[in-house]
Amino acid sequence: MKLIDYVDLSFSNLWKRKLRTFLTIFGVIIGIGALVAMVSFGKGMQKNVSDQFENLELFNYITVFSESFNPLGFGGRSPRGQRQRGRSRDSQEEVKGSEPKPLDDEVIAALRSIKGVESVFPDIRFPAEVRANEEQVFSLIQVLPAEFAQSTLMSLRAGKAYVSDEEDSLIISDSLLRRIGLKDLDTAIGQKVRISTLILDFSNFNPMNLASMIQGENLPIAKEDYEFTIVGITGRMGFGSPTPLRSDVFIPRGTSERMKKLPFTNMWDFFRRTEQNLGYSVVNIKVESPAFVNAVKTKVQEMGYRTFALIDQFEEIRTGFLFMDMILAAVGMIAIVVASLGIMNTMVMSILERYSEIGIMKAVGAGDGDIKKIFFFESSVIGFFGGVFGLALGWVVSGLINRIINYFLAKQGVPFIDYFNFPWWLCLGAVLFAVVVSLVSGIYPAVRAARVDPVVALRHD
Amino acid sequence: MTKAPIIQAQKLTKVYSSGKIEVTALKDVDLAVGKGTFIGVAGSSGSGKSTLMNLLGGLDSPTSGSIEFEGELISRKDKNELARYRRHDVGMIFQSFNLIPFFSAVENVSLPLLFAGVSKKERREQASVFLDRVGLSSRKEHRPSELSGGEQQRVAIARALVNSPKIILADEPTGNLDSQTSSEIVGLLATINREQGLTVIMVSHEEALLKEHCDEIIRLFDGEVKVKEQLK
Ligand SMILES: Nc1ncnc2c1ncn2[C@@H]1O[C@H](COP(=O)(O)OP(=O)(O)O)[C@@H](O)[C@H]1O
Ligand SMILES: [Mg+2]
Repeated sequence: MKLIDYVDLSFSNLWKRKLRTFLTIFGVIIGIGALVAMVSFGKGMQKNVSDQFENLELFNYITVFSESFNPLGFGGRSPRGQRQRGRSRDSQEEVKGSEPKPLDDEVIAALRSIKGVESVFPDIRFPAEVRANEEQVFSLIQVLPAEFAQSTLMSLRAGKAYVSDEEDSLIISDSLLRRIGLKDLDTAIGQKVRISTLILDFSNFNPMNLASMIQGENLPIAKEDYEFTIVGITGRMGFGSPTPLRSDVFIPRGTSERMKKLPFTNMWDFFRRTEQNLGYSVVNIKVESPAFVNAVKTKVQEMGYRTFALIDQFEEIRTGFLFMDMILAAVGMIAIVVASLGIMNTMVMSILERYSEIGIMKAVGAGDGDIKKIFFFESSVIGFFGGVFGLALGWVVSGLINRIINYFLAKQGVPFIDYFNFPWWLCLGAVLFAVVVSLVSGIYPAVRAARVDPVVALRHD
Repeated sequence: MTKAPIIQAQKLTKVYSSGKIEVTALKDVDLAVGKGTFIGVAGSSGSGKSTLMNLLGGLDSPTSGSIEFEGELISRKDKNELARYRRHDVGMIFQSFNLIPFFSAVENVSLPLLFAGVSKKERREQASVFLDRVGLSSRKEHRPSELSGGEQQRVAIARALVNSPKIILADEPTGNLDSQTSSEIVGLLATINREQGLTVIMVSHEEALLKEHCDEIIRLFDGEVKVKEQLK
């Protein structure tokens, strides 16, 4: 038998039983469609996250923590931990690991001279009241050098970033803007905003009140007002913002230096800083490319600081995605299994109906192999069409879902994102998988068909 | 027996066992069919005629005994070799025609050529030639359901001939036909036998037709050959 004859014969056999063939193919279409939609959703999420990280050059950043600062419990290599381990083995280690220098401007200069480091800026944030018109909100202000405000790191929804480090300008997030009563983004640009910093005022400081101070009362604090102009508005990050930008208001560096303020972000800092200046808590390093991350990190750790690089975390994120992919694929697989049972059912039914036909074919010279192949071809034709149209269905449905999600998220100010991703291997794989699944489903029916005894099949009396 | 046998059976026995019950359908049948002869097989229902035809046609394997076709042992062949034997050497005709209902006359006739690997165009051409030969030139595109019993059996005969087999096995080809059509069909087989020298073995209940056309009649009783009538 020639290949073309198998194709011909399977098409005409399937065409004879149009309705059943269509229903069976439809089962495969739904199965493959579900699987494709699920996997493309998983891939879409993953692509969005990694694209976003890459676009924002987030893999180019290393966060350096001073010895004691560990607000989020980031892992990193702790020099103290090393020393403790060293102590149990060899007490001489202790001498080597002296307390690292505070993260001050001198250290920043040293960090800047490491090979591969593009720039370094301290992560300075301070609490302040932000006020426009009548509304007043307490927020953390982040000091961001103009060069970073203008980089890809900062995605602006409206306006521009400040160009000099000396302007009395600020960039504000749209959510904070809304909270201070400025709803319209376009008219907000150019508006004046008053920022009131907190300063120490020892005129009525009483050390005996320490206990109540810890609870935030009777603090020796006064306010100082500054006026800023809104020049830019940032959008909200789609994915939890794991960037060096951790604030709703950004002001230039030079301007910040001229302001009186308490540069603390928690009570611990407050007390520490009153004892002695231990420098910055956190410093951000930007390397020239992600390739430098490990080398720079090692250098920084040798200097005695703890580090955090998102690229390390990304491996964990990837594992998380793999897990998500597996769950999504498992849901899709259920549909595939059902479709596969449908194929099996159809083909077994077909044997029963074509029992005497199989007998006839054998009587005129068909071998078991011929019969097997005829049935295999029919299953794979079902699989092929199920795969092709299933892919199309998955594509169309996920496209629709994508539009609907984006329609609702656009109302909340989230930019348009493709939540589904169709890499070429998914398209090819879906069709191939459908054919393979139908071939596997076709094994039992084909073997059974080949085993039909022509003598029994042809006996009519 | 002047002619060399084309097919020969020795101590051919077939036992069907369904569950605990064993049915001996054929018992120690000896047979030698000369090349180009027309052999009739007679016997009451259940006497083992179909069983004999299926064994000779390679559709089934004997429980014991042997079949030789042109000096080759058919009873030793494996499944694939048997399929090859059926494809190239045998043409079978059945009481119930056994045509594929979805196929037209030409498609039914060309079916054996499909498994012989002949191209579609050539299949149609050859099938058409054989339909002409059995007198169905005007019925080529008809489906079995659109044909009379006699016409259906002619299609089956064309199908049996299309592979240029060396032997035709016809199991009660007239069993479903009226007497007029029956004699036409047996006449057609006799003509083929006479003109092409094709060996024909035919099962039939119709004594008159058997006596008219056969060289020899083998009579089966309960799976055993009791009488061999030499007519010509
Ligand atoms: N596949 C089978 N299984 C069991 N018994 C069978 C089978 N085929 C035929 N027989 C039995 O073998 C005997 C001979 O059958 P068969 O050759 O069909 O007779 P005939 O064609 O002469 O009427 C019958 O008793 C029949 O019931
Ligand atoms: Mg019979």
